[in-house]
Formats: sequence, C-alpha cells, structure tokens
Amino acid sequence: MTLLKIDTVTAGYGVGPDILKGISLEMEKGKSYCIIGPNGAGKSTLLRVICGLLHPRTGKVMFKGENISKLRTDEILQRGICFVPQDFSLFPDMTVKENLRMGGYIMSDRKEVERRIGEVFEMFPILEQKSRDLAKTLSGGQQQMLAIGRSLILQPEVIMLDEPSLGLAPIVVQQIFKSIDRLKDAGMTIIMVEQNAKKGLEFAEWGCVLDLGVNRFEGPSETILYDPRIQELYLGKIQREHIDD
Amino acid sequence: MTDMALIIQLLFIGVSLGGVYALMGSGLTIVFGVMRIVNIAHAALMMVASYVTYFAYIRIGMDPILSIFLTIPLMYFVGVITYKVFFSRLSKGIRYGELTVLLTFSIALIVEGLLGYFFTNTYRSTSPTYSTSAFLFGELFLPKGQFYATILSIVLIAALWAFLRYTRIGNAIRATMQNPTAAQVVGVNIEKASVVAFGIGLALGGAAGSLSTYMFPFYPGKHWEWIGILLSLIVLGGMGSLLGALVGAMLLAVTATFVSHYFGPTWSAVTFFLALFLILLFRPEGLFGKKMEVK
Amino acid sequence: MTAHNAVNVTLQHEQDAILGRVTPGKKWFLVSLLLVSFLTPVLIFFVNGMNYYLHMLLTTFMYIALASSWNMIGGFTGYTSLGHNVFLAIGGYFSGLIFAELGISPFITAPLAGLIAGALGLAFGLISLRTRGPAFIISTIAMVLLLKLTFDRWDLIGGTGGMSLPFLKVPSMYTKVPFYYGMLLLAIGAVYLSYRIRHSKFGLGLRAISQDEVKAEVAGIPTNRYKILAFAASALFVGSVGARYGYYLTYLRPNIFLTVIVGAQLVLMSVLGGKGTVSGPIVGAVLFIGINEFFVASLGSSELNIVATGVLLAIVLLFFPAGIVGSLKEADRLPSIFDWD
Repeated sequence: MTLLKIDTVTAGYGVGPDILKGISLEMEKGKSYCIIGPNGAGKSTLLRVICGLLHPRTGKVMFKGENISKLRTDEILQRGICFVPQDFSLFPDMTVKENLRMGGYIMSDRKEVERRIGEVFEMFPILEQKSRDLAKTLSGGQQQMLAIGRSLILQPEVIMLDEPSLGLAPIVVQQIFKSIDRLKDAGMTIIMVEQNAKKGLEFAEWGCVLDLGVNRFEGPSETILYDPRIQELYLGKIQREHIDD
Repeated sequence: MTDMALIIQLLFIGVSLGGVYALMGSGLTIVFGVMRIVNIAHAALMMVASYVTYFAYIRIGMDPILSIFLTIPLMYFVGVITYKVFFSRLSKGIRYGELTVLLTFSIALIVEGLLGYFFTNTYRSTSPTYSTSAFLFGELFLPKGQFYATILSIVLIAALWAFLRYTRIGNAIRATMQNPTAAQVVGVNIEKASVVAFGIGLALGGAAGSLSTYMFPFYPGKHWEWIGILLSLIVLGGMGSLLGALVGAMLLAVTATFVSHYFGPTWSAVTFFLALFLILLFRPEGLFGKKMEVK
Repeated sequence: MTAHNAVNVTLQHEQDAILGRVTPGKKWFLVSLLLVSFLTPVLIFFVNGMNYYLHMLLTTFMYIALASSWNMIGGFTGYTSLGHNVFLAIGGYFSGLIFAELGISPFITAPLAGLIAGALGLAFGLISLRTRGPAFIISTIAMVLLLKLTFDRWDLIGGTGGMSLPFLKVPSMYTKVPFYYGMLLLAIGAVYLSYRIRHSKFGLGLRAISQDEVKAEVAGIPTNRYKILAFAASALFVGSVGARYGYYLTYLRPNIFLTVIVGAQLVLMSVLGGKGTVSGPIVGAVLFIGINEFFVASLGSSELNIVATGVLLAIVLLFFPAGIVGSLKEADRLPSIFDWD
C-alpha cells in the first residue's frame, strides 16, 4: 500500500534555482528507504519538502491520499511524519529532558508526553542518566540518540533521518543503526539520506539514487548495491567523496 | 562622608539605576534572540509609552508606576502591529541583518518625527511624591523612586524568565532562540513565536518607558542616547541573553555612576559608548552570548 | 592561485566589456552635462533670483559627493555606515578652526580636511571593520553619538553653541559662485573616484566582499586591507565637503553635523538611487533634493520631514531594495546614459 507519494515535485530556496527538478517517488508503509546521491543532488531538500519546511513550487506530496504539500510543519507532524535534520538539531541550552518535552510540543496531553519520555529512556538508557544535563554537553552519539528519541515522542508513522551517521565514530554509527533497526522492527516507515551509501543500502530494503534534482534509479537495495552501472557511476564516486571528507 | 560610605552610596545609586536599564535592555535582547533583529527603534517606541504615561499623569493624575498596566498591553499591541507591517514578509536572505537594522532605523525616525510633531521638543517629566524623597540610612540615602523602579524591573524580568521557562509559548520562544530549525522540526510556529516575542519585547520597553518618566526627563530625540546606552549594555552582556542584559546593565550603570561622580554627569553617557566600542573590539560576543555576526 | 587568476581573467573581461560600452552618445551626454554645469553661474547676470537656483544646485552637488562617497563602503563593499556625518563634522571643524585661528580660508584647507577625514576613517575602520553586519552598523551609530558628546563639551570649538566663521568677502551677488564651483569639483571628484574604483581590481574585490566575504578571502582577496581602504576612501570627499559646507553656512554646531538624521539621509540617497551602482547615488541625491524641497514646502516642519525620511526609507527597503537604478537594471529598462557599471 502506498503511504507517501511524491509527484513530479520541483522546489528551491528563495529566488534561487530549482534544486529538485521533477522528482517522483512512491513509498510503502513499514518499509525502509535509503536515498543516496552526490552532493547537491537534492537529498536533504527532498526531506525538507516532505516535512513542510520548504514548499514545492510545482507538483505535490500525497500522504495517505491527502495532499500535504501546502501544510505547515506542525500540521504534517500531526499526521505522523517526523524529521531528524542533519547535525542533530537540538536545543543546546535546554536539558535532555526539556529537549524530549519539546518533542511533544504539539501534543496537549502532558501526562502522555511524560509517559513516552519514559519509553525513550527505556530505549536509550544513557539519556535517562543524563536527563538533567544540558544537550550541548552530550557526545555526538548521545546527541544523535537524543534527536532520534525526541522525534519518537510523537510516535510517528514515518521517520526521516538526514545523515544519521555524519561525523560519528564507526562504533557509534553501529549503535545508531541498531536503534534505527528497532524502529524498523516496530513497523515504522523509515526514510534515510546517507552519505555513507554502502552502509545505508545495507541497512535499508529499498534504495533510490538522486542526481541533479531527479531520481535516476530505484530498486531493492541489493540490486542497487550490486548494479555495475550504479556502482561505477555513483557508489564509487560517493565512496571517494566520503573518504575525501 | 568617608571614602567607604561614598563608595557604598555610589553603588546604591548605580544598582538602583541598573534595574531599569536592564528592563529596557531585556526587551531588546529578547527580540534579537528570537529574530536576529537589532531593533534600533526600541528606545523610540519606549518614548511612546513615556508620553502616554506623562499625559495620563498630567491629565488624570495617574501614578507613573501604576500606568505600566496601561503601557504594557498597549506596547504589546504596538509591537504586534509593527511586526506585521514591517517584518512578516521579509525572507531571511543574505542581507537580512542589515536590512532589518535599516528598517528599524526608519521606524525610529518615523516615531521620533511623529512624537516631535505632536508633542514638540520640550523636555518633559512626571513628578510623583516618591520621585523627590529618599530612604535614609545614617549618612547614606536611597532615592525612593529609583528603588521602586528597580525592584519592579527585577520583578518583571523574573516574570519574563518564568514565562519563558514554564509556559508553552515561552518554551517555543526559547526553542526558537536556541535553534530555529530544530524548533520548526518539533512543530513550533516560528512566525507566531516571533510576533509574541516582538510584542513582549516592546511591552517590557513600555513598562520601562513609564518608570523612566520620573527619573530621566525626556524629549523625542532622546531615544538616540537611550538606544546607544541599551545597545552597549546588551552587547556587553551578550546579545540574546537575558542574564547578560541584567549583568551588563548593572556593571555599566555602576561604572557610569562612578564616572559621573568623579568626572561630572555629562561624561557618564560617554562611558556607555566607549564601552560599546571596546566590547565590539575585544569581545564581540559579550559576556554570555554568541557572536552577533551574520553570514 | 587558480582562483586569483580566475578573478583577474573576469576582471579583464569585464573591463573590456565596460570600456567598450562607453558609447559616443554617453560621452557627449557627459561632456554637455559638465559644460552646462560649469556655465550655469553666468546666468546670475540675466536671471532674477538666480542665487536661489545656485543654492539648490550646489546643495545637489554636495549630496552627490556625499552619497557617492558613502556608496564606496555602503554600496560596493556592503558595510552600511550610519555614521558618515562624523567625517562631515571632522572636515567642517578642522577647516573652521584653522580659519578662525590662522585665517587660512577653508577653500585652501578643504583637501587637507579630506585627508584628515580619510586618516580618521582609516583609524576607525581598523577598529570597527573587525565586526560585520549589525555589530558594524551599531558601532557606526556609536561613533556619531560619541563624537557629538565630545564636541558638545569641547570649549575650544564652542561646545553646543558652536563657532561662527567670517563671511566670504565678495559682493553679495557673487557669494554663491565660489561655493558652487567648490561643490561641483567635489562632486566630480567623488563620482570619478567612485567610477574608477568600480572598474578596478580593487572594486571587484570590494564587490566580492559584499557578496560573500569568506569566499572572497579564499579567492585570495586581502579583504581586511580592502575594507579599510574602502572606508578611508569613502571618508575622503566627505571631509572636504564638510570644510566647504561649514564655511558656506558660516557657523558650525554639533547639532547641524552630528544628528543621526544627517547620517540617515546619506544612506537614504544611496539606497533610493541604488546602492552599489555608480549612477545610483547621483540619481538618489537629485531625487532627495526634489522630495525634500517638496516636503519642506508642503509640510513645512522639520519633524514631518524626519517622518517623511523614515517612511521613504522603509518603502524603498521593503519594496525596491535594489533602488531605482538597480531595479530598472534588473528589469532591463535602464536608459544607457545612466548605466556606468
């Protein structure tokens, strides 16, 4: 069943040129997707469009048959799509607990928020230990856990992660992916943008290659991962870029 | 008077001025924190509240301290209107910082000109009984009016702090100050947070405008001097930091009191502008804040 | 290195393109404009009340010189200064003081006043240009407030009361003429300097700074030196104008030179005409004079004049941030005689 449908979307910032140049994608409930592509391909922009931080210039975004392309971010959150931006995006001068409470900002039931914070603490015990520390004092991995945990407060159907492994040590990346795996098992739809394409594709069921604002290839992860054309064109290039960073 | 007594006396006066400066500065720093707008018109709009207070005092004998109940809601409303007219359609381009400074600058000119046109350029002030009496402690004295004003200012700043910490919209404002993207991602309507923050900023300025009527005589053009003073203290404290505004205000108010005693009152304003230069030169991020640069 | 070469290549390319575009039409327009300007004072022998028109014209020249100068830092470099009237005051008081003490005419000392203002601009730039964006703008306002406080309390120059200068000793019919030519020369000088900077490697560097300072630095442009030089250059003619303006008024008061509104008007002229272009400040200055005359005549109060300045500035900022010349150019509707970029 199609959950999210992106229909020939074009988008860009301010008066600038189009970054997305007519993207079309369909995503099913409960599956995991990894979007890869070179720098400037429009991967992050796509996620920003889906969650309403940026509105499409043309085309539309459909969620469960409803056109959500003109909704505000808080309205899209209400419908069950959460976004974890790059660089964790926390509130540095709030405590861990306050950050989690902000995750439930759009909910009116305070008690329910506290209960769900408890659930996040079960998933990431380290966050409970540090619940009174300021977010800016956490390590990179802990900050990423907090960012993911904060988006889970709303118990979303779709969770979008923009480069969850960026700037983290390999061992920490393992931990983060393991926790994302648990979300997958719980039936959540996961859309991930990964610079580390190999890692992302090994993790996700479905891959999608973006370049210059359009989707070039898509298919089951193994197919993408071992498709010689894609390997040569993008994977290799992406790997090299990744090493350069 | 002994040296020690003199120093304590000057401290008394400095601190009792600092509270009001802090109240004026807190509105400015909140607006900067949320919207990255340096509101040059802050002091000019504060003057509007001063004139309202003045005429309420002259015409119906309303107490200047009590009139904050009039000026706080009034200036909140003025803030919301100002925001809607000037800032709601601006996009955050590369020149946002400069564009908004110039815009608030033009608002300051408009307000100054209108006040001058309607109320002329004569100096005004209110004179409730407490403005001329003092608490006496042996050879020391504490002017009553300044004392009340400072206590009230600190109460208002504490109320603002509690508001930011314990209310939903307060948390939204605080979240926007710390990380606008993250705030949007959790569903904060940044536009709404900005409108409320701008309104609150001016409401605090309104209260300060009322309280200042019996301490500092005013005329429309006076706001330039004020905005210089306010900018210097919030730049010292760190733009966007409430605690910084309070500490910066106290430090500079006390310093200026000493300068005024030893070098003459006309030089006390120089303290602020000189401080502003030195801080921008050596520590542009202030004591508690982040750098004010725009990319 | 490659980046620097690229900049040089762009520059060369651009200069060819620009110089190629100075058409004979534009040349004749310029020559005839200068000729008319130089010959206009002759009309005092034929036209009644010509002195009023000379006054208007010399004020226009003065504003052209001021706005073009401001544009070097505020337009080309993108650092908005709200305190350029400081240099006006410095120039005015410097020459005024020498005139009062030593009897040397401000006409002679005006270039020196410009140099003094330029040197102070250099010094101020060294301090203030360490900051950018809003912090820089604030520091320029602080500069005005600080200087006003100081001048208000400085007995040598008369404090708030100011100082009076002797009148120029010529028959009253001709009093405007020397000032007319003085201001005309300053306007020509400032615009010429502005044009030369705009079409130099230095100017290209300044524009790179206004676009993206970090990238400019990476491309090998010595951003710090360039910014400070631009600031000093922009103070140069303002100082000279100050010297002649003070003499023209025959009195100097902090209130005339050092109110924030004067600095605001300099900004308004450039923004109105189109900052960052060569002809923008000229168009802005001419329009400003016209609008000012209209407001003073119809509103008749200096308070409402302040309101009008503010409203106009806000409207331009909100609706035509590129100014008249900039907006017309974007729409490809700019008459070629105004296009000197």
